[in-house]
Amino acid sequence: MKIFCIIPAYNEEKNIAKVIGEVKHFVDEVVVVDDCSADKTFEQAMTQNVSVLRHVINRGQGAALQTGNEYALNHGADIIVHFDADGQFLAKEIKDVVQPIIDDEADVVLGSRFMGIDSNMPWSKKYIIMPIARLVNKIFLKSTLTDPQNGFRVLSRAAAQKITIMNDGSAHCSEILHKIYRYKLRVKEVPITVVYNEFGQTLLGGKGRGKGGIRILKDLFISFLID
Amino acid sequence: MIQQIIALVVIIFFLIIIFKQKKQGKINAGEFIFWYIFCIGAGVVIIFLKLIDKLVTKIGFSGNGIEVLLYVSVVILFYIIFRLRLQVEKLDRDITKITRIISLNNKE
Repeated sequence: MKIFCIIPAYNEEKNIAKVIGEVKHFVDEVVVVDDCSADKTFEQAMTQNVSVLRHVINRGQGAALQTGNEYALNHGADIIVHFDADGQFLAKEIKDVVQPIIDDEADVVLGSRFMGIDSNMPWSKKYIIMPIARLVNKIFLKSTLTDPQNGFRVLSRAAAQKITIMNDGSAHCSEILHKIYRYKLRVKEVPITVVYNEFGQTLLGGKGRGKGGIRILKDLFISFLID
Repeated sequence: MIQQIIALVVIIFFLIIIFKQKKQGKINAGEFIFWYIFCIGAGVVIIFLKLIDKLVTKIGFSGNGIEVLLYVSVVILFYIIFRLRLQVEKLDRDITKITRIISLNNKE
């Protein structure tokens, strides 16, 4: 099975080379999507001999992931892993997250920070932002998944073909959840570790386009109206 | 009375601008007709303001005609902003599609 890892990157010149170096031992192909970074992320990624795509305009993490998905599907991917460029995830856990797809137990596997493995998650995220996100997803999606905003996920080829990410910003996490239920895909959560280097996302903002809890809710509402 | 005259002068001023824009080809026929009808409608409302006051009272509003028109304008403006927001979002998605095609083509 051909495993592709998509790494959307925005201003990650300090981390990207290290992350690629770690990830490429666990997958067949690494695809970095540089989302029009202002720093040397693109150049740093190019030094690693992996596929590097570049957005000429900054479009957000969701847009970068969809670009990566389309590239991977066009190049024969059987399994697609979404992985963050900031070094918060552990590459060695890719094999655990991929396994349910290989065993045909799931179509989508989501990493979870709330299934036993300790992460140094900031308290405000743990006790305020995440419970709100869970509540929103429970009300609107009837989802009981423990970590709806986690960026570490794996899609089977069939799932990636069905789920087209339309939300350019961070609202893509909830959108993917919504589409998992809409297309009746089999979903499984797997415990993962997250190493917090900095507080990436708050209620009001974060790094990159379309970040922040309020913005996510607004984007979801608008896309609900458009779609 | 003076207020009504000022309002009518402003409307006539807008009508002149609309005609000029149409003549210069800056707006299309549809936009011209919309703004033309809008200005004429506003003029009619101002001329028959007393009648509208009575009408508004009959319908059951406590305010006078101009106040009710203001409320209606606010509602219409909100609707227009909402429509614009959706259009901007659609344009945003189109920009993403183009960006994606460029990045995929550059890589091939």
